[in-house]
Amino acid sequence: MRMNTESTASQRNWVWSIPYVAIGIFALAMLALVWGLQKRETDLQYDALGRDVQWAEQTMRLHMQGAQDYLAQMARELAEGKLDRGAFQVRATQYLANTPELANIVWVDSGQIIRWTAPFETTDWIAGERLAGAQPASFARALTSGQPTYGESYVNHRGAALLEVYVPVQYGRTYLGALVGVYTIEAMVRHLVPGWFGEKYSLSIVDAAGQVLASNTTVTPADDALSYAIDFDPPGNGLALRAKAFRTDSGVARVVPLFLVVGLTLVVVWSLWALRSHFQRRVKVEKERDRLFNLSLDMLCIAGMDGSFRRVNPAFGRVLGYSAEEITGKPLLDYVHPDDLAAVVDALRQLAAGQPVSFEKRWRAADGRYRWLLWAINPVPEERLLYAVAHDITDRREDEEKLKSAFAFRKAMGESLVTGLRAIDLEGRIIFVNPAFCRMLGWSEQELLGLRPPFPYWPPEEAEQLRRDLEQTLAGQAPQGGYEMRIMRRDGHRFDVRMYLSPLIDSEGSQLGWMASMNDITEPKRVRAELEASHERFVAVLDGLDTAVYVADVENDEILYANHAFKNLYGFDAVGRNCWQVTTACHPERSDFQSDPQRLGLDAVPSELFDGEIRHQLSGRWFHLRDRAIRWVDGRVVRMEIAADITERRQMEEAALQHQDRLEQTSRLITMGEMASSLAHELNQPLSAIANYCMGSVNRLKSGDYRREDILAAMEKASAQAERAGKIIRRTREFVKKSAPVRAPVALADIVEEAIGFADIEARKAAAALRVDIPPELPPVFADRIMIEQVVLNLVKNGIEAMQQTPADERELSVTARLDGGDMVEVAVTDRGCGMTEAQAERIFDPFFTSKAEGMGMGLNICRSIIEYHGGRLWAQPNAQGGSVFRFTLPTHSPLTLAGEGPGERAIGTES
Amino acid sequence: MTNQLVYIVDDDDAMRDSLQWLLESQGFAVTAYASAEDFLAACRDGMAGCIVLDVRMPGMSGLELYEKLNSRQCTLPVIFITGHGDVPMAVSALKKGAVDFIEKPFSDKEMLRLIGQCLELDRANREKRQQTEAVARRLASLTEREVEVMDLILAGKLNKQVADILNISIKTVEVHRSRIMDKMEVRAVAELVQAVMRGRQ
Repeated sequence: MRMNTESTASQRNWVWSIPYVAIGIFALAMLALVWGLQKRETDLQYDALGRDVQWAEQTMRLHMQGAQDYLAQMARELAEGKLDRGAFQVRATQYLANTPELANIVWVDSGQIIRWTAPFETTDWIAGERLAGAQPASFARALTSGQPTYGESYVNHRGAALLEVYVPVQYGRTYLGALVGVYTIEAMVRHLVPGWFGEKYSLSIVDAAGQVLASNTTVTPADDALSYAIDFDPPGNGLALRAKAFRTDSGVARVVPLFLVVGLTLVVVWSLWALRSHFQRRVKVEKERDRLFNLSLDMLCIAGMDGSFRRVNPAFGRVLGYSAEEITGKPLLDYVHPDDLAAVVDALRQLAAGQPVSFEKRWRAADGRYRWLLWAINPVPEERLLYAVAHDITDRREDEEKLKSAFAFRKAMGESLVTGLRAIDLEGRIIFVNPAFCRMLGWSEQELLGLRPPFPYWPPEEAEQLRRDLEQTLAGQAPQGGYEMRIMRRDGHRFDVRMYLSPLIDSEGSQLGWMASMNDITEPKRVRAELEASHERFVAVLDGLDTAVYVADVENDEILYANHAFKNLYGFDAVGRNCWQVTTACHPERSDFQSDPQRLGLDAVPSELFDGEIRHQLSGRWFHLRDRAIRWVDGRVVRMEIAADITERRQMEEAALQHQDRLEQTSRLITMGEMASSLAHELNQPLSAIANYCMGSVNRLKSGDYRREDILAAMEKASAQAERAGKIIRRTREFVKKSAPVRAPVALADIVEEAIGFADIEARKAAAALRVDIPPELPPVFADRIMIEQVVLNLVKNGIEAMQQTPADERELSVTARLDGGDMVEVAVTDRGCGMTEAQAERIFDPFFTSKAEGMGMGLNICRSIIEYHGGRLWAQPNAQGGSVFRFTLPTHSPLTLAGEGPGERAIGTES
Repeated sequence: MTNQLVYIVDDDDAMRDSLQWLLESQGFAVTAYASAEDFLAACRDGMAGCIVLDVRMPGMSGLELYEKLNSRQCTLPVIFITGHGDVPMAVSALKKGAVDFIEKPFSDKEMLRLIGQCLELDRANREKRQQTEAVARRLASLTEREVEVMDLILAGKLNKQVADILNISIKTVEVHRSRIMDKMEVRAVAELVQAVMRGRQ
């Protein structure tokens, strides 16, 4: 396999070299092509140059031929003698003006003597001089050949290159001399070729030695410039015409294609290299994937959309026992457990819709058994393929089942616990809580897990302490007895818990954190606190009493307990001492006890031993002593004595008794006064009437103007009025006569009738209607008739007075009665008057309270005293229809026998 | 005056009857009413005499009746009869202008004296009122010019001065003057002044 890999690698390298070679050849071809093109262009340019130079030479030669012809013309005319000196000057000068390349025209006679010169001012040729230098040779050659002949070019003393042409002057066969035209070579170069030529080329004339005689430009072209030289003949003599082209195309232009070719080639090579390395990476990845595919313990496969396997990895063989060939192309559904078929078909449908699926189902292995496979399948709709991974979870599922049952067992166990369990890791984060813990706090497990301190169940006021405890715990210094702490339910309710902590060790023996068990101790704590509180209450109550209490053993009379008041009275060292010695000044005699406490068994207690009032021999104060035999806390029989100071009460009772006497005395006086006033008022009417009748009669009798019947009638009327007065007095006397209260059964209706009789006048004056409704079947009340009459009268009069502001048709006062509970009769006096306020209702029975301008404020107070003396009750309440209702009750019979009447009765009785 | 009446208002039959008996024995003309309401129903403008009124009565009380009469501008003098303990009430009545009060039981002499006093007061009141009415009537009968002249005379001007002020002749003034004296039924300027004073109150 390794060999194989190497050979394929070298093969691949060879394959990879082909593009490089191809690119090299291509680059060379391109370079050759560029070179060829450039060469061809240069040749073309050279040809053009040649043509142009030849054309220039021809043009120059034509010009020189023209000049030669002209000189020949002049020579002929000279020979024929047609041309004298003056004409020569004119024509030569004229011609020179038109022909700039010609500098001078000179006539040299056959003796080589210069005769005429033009222009005449020239200093180069001076008439009369002889030819010098190479000139005579050229002159001779011209004469010899009879043809115009060019001399050697030369440079004169001014530095100008000159060329001379000798045109022989011949008359017949006689040579008369020669006309010499002097060319300035520089002017020739400049003027004989057109301007465009000078722009394109540098044209110069060189002599045989290669020396440049003249050039049309001072600009020297580059050395390697294209140049072309041609012999210049005539004049011959080795002269050559040379043109150099000014370089028109720059070197850069020529180099660009070259560089392009090289550059592009490099780029292609680089990209090829990059491509290659990328490809190599890809190949490597693919190989890795293949290896993974083959090595994977999980089953990997690619299936078609129809559910048939396309490719499977070897894991199929390992897990299910099918070889890849065996299974490829088979539909996947063939291997599904029949029970799961529907679900898998459903999953395939989902896949077809483009959704990835994942499911756990049973699959048939080659040995016929079923295995649980966890599938994850991803569809790729554009390729119509499914990529699937299956993991064998048969073992895991079995483990899971076991774990589940174990967990359920543990969970049931945990939930039945009432102790809250909480585990924290070494950083204090909650990693476990049991249901009891959650129940205690009201937070759910999900909410608590992962929390870090401070925990939400820490009450803000305790947070600091709890944080310290937690730090201590994490430091491994939790106390053996655990912590007692106050924590908070979710609803803010605080409660006390005790928390024990132990390290949480995992299976490998390293500590994971701390496990805490938590018990709600609110109830035990509350019970204890209540016990303490109840004890404290008991002590506080007993010590707070101003009644002295002590408990003494009945056997040895040792004081077992004494309260604060007792200690105040007999000294603070009382407990433990003998009770009789301590209480010498004030204690009942043993002989006074109803039974001997020493003989009482536990079943006979509690029992009363003594109840009486004893005077303290030293202080003179009175104490009410009660002794009881009770069972003590340790089970023995003890004697408890309670001594209450009743001195004040006794004083108050005496004072109250005296007060009552005085009150009733006053009451009687007031009643008498009122009666007197009432009597006077009542008597006024009849007495006034009597007086009137009498005086009327007297007056008439005196005057004598009277009728007997009239006087008689008046006298009778007066007598009737006297009788009326008598009645009033009689009634009053009866009232006064019975001032000593005598309680006896009496009909209530009689009492009320009599009282109404007194009140009638008042009622009439006040225009008030009086209504009396006493049921005839009412039993007689046990009362003093006159006193009750007075009460009723008082109430009725009050009612009438209260109705002064009431509209006349509503002024109704009613007196009603009814049986109240069998042995009491309730009487109600109802008015429709102004009523009273709550404040007044509270005070109307107070002495000296009055709402009347002339009242003394004693009436209602006395009424109440009277009613209470009778054992009844007097009270007032608002009337629903407006006004007030005064109610009082009276007994139907005396609760005591006549002999047992209270002291109040005696007091009143003795007073009258 | 023979046309004067004593009006008794009292709810007590015996009291009312006996008082009437007593007063008639002294020659007073008496009319009795059993309640304030009865009297109010019978009350007329031209009544002359006095009222004897019981303070305490069922229904409208004596005081209430008195206030009603006052508001009707009845000028009859009133004597209140009060019972025991009604003195403060009577005092308040007096303060309101009642003539007097008398407390039961009263002597006949005291009662008769008070009634006599009241009738005299009533008579004087009415006479005064009649005189005033007469003067007013006479003043009303004067013409406008006569009033002008009279005012000037009352201001103490002489006839001549009056003539000058009113720009009339002395004769004319004298005529006016004598007419004024006639119409006003006076004889001297002093009487005229008195009459005008009374009539213009």
